[in-house]
Amino acid sequence: MTGRTVLLGATTALLVIVLGGPALAGDTAVRTVAAPWAPPGSGLPLGADALGRDVLARVLAGGRDLALVAGGSALVATVLGAGAGLWTGWSNGSVARGLAAAADLLLAVPLLLLALVAAVALPGPAAVLVGTVLGGAPLTLRVVADVTQASRGAGYVRAALGRGEPAATVLLREVLPAHSALVAADLGMRAVLALQLAAALSVLGFGSAPPAPDWAGMLRDNLVGLPVNPAAVLAPAVALAVLAAALAACARTADGRVAR
Amino acid sequence: MSLRVAGALLRAGALLLAAAVAVFAATAALPADAIAVRSGGRIEGEQLAALRAAAGLDRPVVVRFLDWLGGLLTGDPGASLVSGRPVAELVGQRALVSAVLVVGALVLAVPLAVALARSRGTAAGVLVVAAAALPPVVVGVGLAALLAGGWQLVPPVSLLPAGRPPWSRPALLVLPVLTLALPTAAYAAGQLRGTVADVIARPFVRDAELRGVPGPAVALRYVGPLVAAPALRVLAVSAGALVAGTTVVETLFGMSGLGELLVAAVRTRDVPVVQAVALLAAAVVVAGLLLADLAAAATSSGPARRGRRA
Repeated sequence: MTGRTVLLGATTALLVIVLGGPALAGDTAVRTVAAPWAPPGSGLPLGADALGRDVLARVLAGGRDLALVAGGSALVATVLGAGAGLWTGWSNGSVARGLAAAADLLLAVPLLLLALVAAVALPGPAAVLVGTVLGGAPLTLRVVADVTQASRGAGYVRAALGRGEPAATVLLREVLPAHSALVAADLGMRAVLALQLAAALSVLGFGSAPPAPDWAGMLRDNLVGLPVNPAAVLAPAVALAVLAAALAACARTADGRVAR
Repeated sequence: MSLRVAGALLRAGALLLAAAVAVFAATAALPADAIAVRSGGRIEGEQLAALRAAAGLDRPVVVRFLDWLGGLLTGDPGASLVSGRPVAELVGQRALVSAVLVVGALVLAVPLAVALARSRGTAAGVLVVAAAALPPVVVGVGLAALLAGGWQLVPPVSLLPAGRPPWSRPALLVLPVLTLALPTAAYAAGQLRGTVADVIARPFVRDAELRGVPGPAVALRYVGPLVAAPALRVLAVSAGALVAGTTVVETLFGMSGLGELLVAAVRTRDVPVVQAVALLAAAVVVAGLLLADLAAAATSSGPARRGRRA
């Protein structure tokens, strides 16, 4: 229990730093202050990047866009998936079965492929959203539909229906809260996958436009300078890894609470 | 049995057709862009219309789709809007590199996933969860820092000499193959270990162990058959993820394979190339699922339980 509190607290603090980072870094993140790939020294704790910019400032500033895109996409995917799942599990009609079958098929297609095809017509963040929703919402749908179907005969649901409450109210006020831990865990997993997707698209050149910093873009741009200033590559890599691992750990703890 | 095989084939065909429709619909939404990209926005009005007509982009969408589908079926996916070269030629030149990467990664990932599938509740299990959460590009960069930077075992960038097969310089394949294989193995192990733990906890497995049946025989004869169907499904999904993963790995390490071709084509809105490569990748996924379905039909009598991705 306390371990969970510590984990949630640390992750929240991490997210605050990531989101507030650009404000902390100011315009030092885009200014040339040293020679390309200058090694760490006084005033530059992590050295400089390919264009002689402060790596520490860029790491501070480079997570917000990724986190916002990933978090937003995950939220949309979970809301759509949970909504469709509630309805599918409740009605269990032929439309619902068709929806579940279509979801089953979408699960097999790699997210990155979906997002790349979408990136032909859409800007990078929108492509991440499309990939996360098409590849993630079906999973949410299936999991939520399963538990909703199982809840239909539960006492609290029958009691609510007996009071004469409409099905939509029962679903939102009774069934959804009963499975909130499951949905929260799902949101966390969607966020991890969306972060992976956003990082991949950013490495492929569909992320934030230069000179705005972004961890994945920093990995790509500074990989060549690895022998000169390893910190320029390792710092954003560690930042991405810590954020992804923290989100995954939170998702697992939330899932553990529903005793699976 | 034969009914299930026919059903699997039918579903694979329908899936492939659906993929073709989806790929075409997503990419044909902006017909003028490839021409606009190629001309750099300098061509306008009648000239632009003439170029679009020459590229066949002024016809109705349905006609273009049927035309494209017919071309695919006869082995002619059209020509690149950017370079004008036949798409089949571009794909043919690069397919070998990507195939070597994907097959190499599978050869490495499958045994690793099997070894890690029993890791639930151990230190290795925590590592599996963390590794599956990492963006693959972080894995790639970490491996590069270790193998190319720290120990200097392999070059950091894998530029293959032109006209030579990819395996002529095995050292260049180490980083890309490992980058593909490790996250995939972690993902597959994470998907399977719940099932494996459930099966191992069954009484007949305990019985066999108590009777003194050796460990490998228990795994093969008692656990294996029950895990086979979900494992094959996970393997198929993993193969699809590997194909998609070549885009990141090839771009990161500078290899010219299909993944890098797809990324370049998306950037220049070279629609025929995007369509062909994306559909090829989709075909690999569908083929994997079909094989998993057929194998499940062959090994079990019950309906195949599908592996979950999360």
